[in-house]
Amino acid sequence: MKKTLIVALAVIGLLATVLMAAPAKKMIQVKGSDTLVNLVQILAEEYMGKNPGAAIAVLGGGSGTGITGLINKTCDIADHSREWKKKEIEQAWEKGVTPRFFVIAVDGLSIVVNEKNPIEKITFAQVGALYRGEIKNWKMLGPYDKAVSLYGRQSNSGTYGFMQEFVLGNKNFSTDVKEMNGTAQIVESILQDEGAVGYVGVGYLYDKDGKIRKGLRVLNISKTPDGEAFAPTDKANIDSGKYPISRPLFQATNGKPSADIAAFIAWETGPEGQAIVEREGFFAISPAHKAQNDKNLK
Amino acid sequence: MGKRQKLILALVFATLVLPLASLLAQTTTPPTQTFNTTIYLDYRYNLSSAGPITLKPTDPTVAYLSNQFIFRRAYFTYENKISDNLKFRFRLDADNTANVTGVTLTGTPVTGTSLSKDDKLRPFIKHLFFEWSNFLIENQTLRVGMEETLTFNLSEARWGYRSVAKTLVDGYKDITGVDTNVSSADIGASLQGSATKYFRYGVQVVNGSGYSHLEADKFKKFSGQLQLIPVSGLSLVGYIDYSRQMPKASLPLVTAPAATSYKLDGFFEMVKNLVLGGEWYAYKNDLNQAGGVKYNVSGWSVFGRYALVQDKLNAFARYDSYIPNNQNRAKDLNLTIFGLDWAPLHSSMKLQPNIWIYSYKDGTQYKATATSNSDVAFNLTFFLSF
Repeated sequence: MKKTLIVALAVIGLLATVLMAAPAKKMIQVKGSDTLVNLVQILAEEYMGKNPGAAIAVLGGGSGTGITGLINKTCDIADHSREWKKKEIEQAWEKGVTPRFFVIAVDGLSIVVNEKNPIEKITFAQVGALYRGEIKNWKMLGPYDKAVSLYGRQSNSGTYGFMQEFVLGNKNFSTDVKEMNGTAQIVESILQDEGAVGYVGVGYLYDKDGKIRKGLRVLNISKTPDGEAFAPTDKANIDSGKYPISRPLFQATNGKPSADIAAFIAWETGPEGQAIVEREGFFAISPAHKAQNDKNLK
Repeated sequence: MGKRQKLILALVFATLVLPLASLLAQTTTPPTQTFNTTIYLDYRYNLSSAGPITLKPTDPTVAYLSNQFIFRRAYFTYENKISDNLKFRFRLDADNTANVTGVTLTGTPVTGTSLSKDDKLRPFIKHLFFEWSNFLIENQTLRVGMEETLTFNLSEARWGYRSVAKTLVDGYKDITGVDTNVSSADIGASLQGSATKYFRYGVQVVNGSGYSHLEADKFKKFSGQLQLIPVSGLSLVGYIDYSRQMPKASLPLVTAPAATSYKLDGFFEMVKNLVLGGEWYAYKNDLNQAGGVKYNVSGWSVFGRYALVQDKLNAFARYDSYIPNNQNRAKDLNLTIFGLDWAPLHSSMKLQPNIWIYSYKDGTQYKATATSNSDVAFNLTFFLSF
């Protein structure tokens, strides 16, 4: 009996310690896309600055990581740069998770080469051919005799999935693709490699002065061999659909978001948040996206 | 070769070779490799001293393990995802169940040998398989090798505290001493998939001798599982397995013995931060006889866990009812487990204080000298994963 009492007291003491150590305010946990992680961190910091009661933690890891986190209820918001897969929708159903989706920014996925590469434009089909390993030397595309050096993301990245599905036509990447941990590493590799090509979100193209980083060249892309090529850096090309490689960037919540999460998403997708989205090199969402977001918040 | 064998060979050939083209087409993505270690470490302390497990010896020269530190399990897992559709897993497990470790030579020159034993934590292979995703159809997975059995992986995932206790069926032998011929891993092949979000299936054929023993007869164990998810967060699962057994000389009338397990599970995950589960289990084996009378084994379990502070603090509880011999209900026992799961720094290191309460209908059925029908023990479990 004495032993039972001692252990019961120890357990109660431990519980009290744990509860005291627990954070007093609810932390919103955001996890997922590496394309979005920097942007959402900045959004969260600005939001917390304006709302001292708010607490938001933002982690990367890739779209798959964020989606898994939402399904396993280890995060409140999943950042993802691709649509959910059928398998993920089924897993969510099994675990009682009913995702609601919000478009918070639009990304023009840029095809970037080293500035010593003189080629300025290629076709959408040629981008796919490059990454499938069907074009081995730049001289097949223009006046530049240099072996193609491919850089990309790891397979848990939403950008990887988007490229594979949308640009490569669901074919596999070449085994020669050097898989980098993050988009920033792709940019750094291109700066060092004269034969390099990489795919990065437009937010990673600019330096702190808002100019395209020195040492990079952003390729203009045309839909057809005879068509006009457009740059991803011009918002009008994205909105009009003239630039062929663009995508919405999402956040997902489990069902109707709670008041604190809804307030954060409403702010992100509102005028203040969208100004930051544009400042960070992404494109603001369209009115149609905004209307759908507002509907999903209710 | 008979017609039947030819037909089986043709089916195996068609099943494995026809989708080969799609697999080869998927081999171009560079590998993603992961390493992971998971460890369960306990500090155990008996809170009773008269039950069958915690009985204190009356002889002061006999050791009494009233408390101890023990590494219960250590896993090392290597996974290599070769492509979107092909993955390999190699998992070592380690426990310290008094393995025979070697031979001690005595005398010079050698005059004889004797077996040496100790309780060191030693590794053995638990998983060694390949996994072929989208096999034949989308969302269907084939596994071949030493792999998890279907028997309790869904309930294990919902209970979520293997670090504290195995689920009802997995831990049945440990708790009651009755072998129900189940194993968490075995050598064979399985096919699992989903037709729609409402319906999942799994079939498996394995040796039936588990991961600890080689195949000992020509018979295989066949398992099937159906999972219905009528509404999001509510699962109903039915499971059955069947295996023929070798006859026993002591039971000459049973010439073609068989063993069958039946299992029903229900999981409720519709309320945020709460997981509830229940399972019912029955095991029938023609060779389970006492005094010429066949007996069956059964049990049920309910459990729940609740996140008090997300990613930081959970509370969990479980109640098991065991009927290890339906012809001798004096052996019935119940087990209650409750505790906390606290991650003070990071989810890779958790403290899980928990209490186990055994309640026996008749404790002397388990230890003749027991003077109490209950055992109570406290564990401070350390869960480490890195």
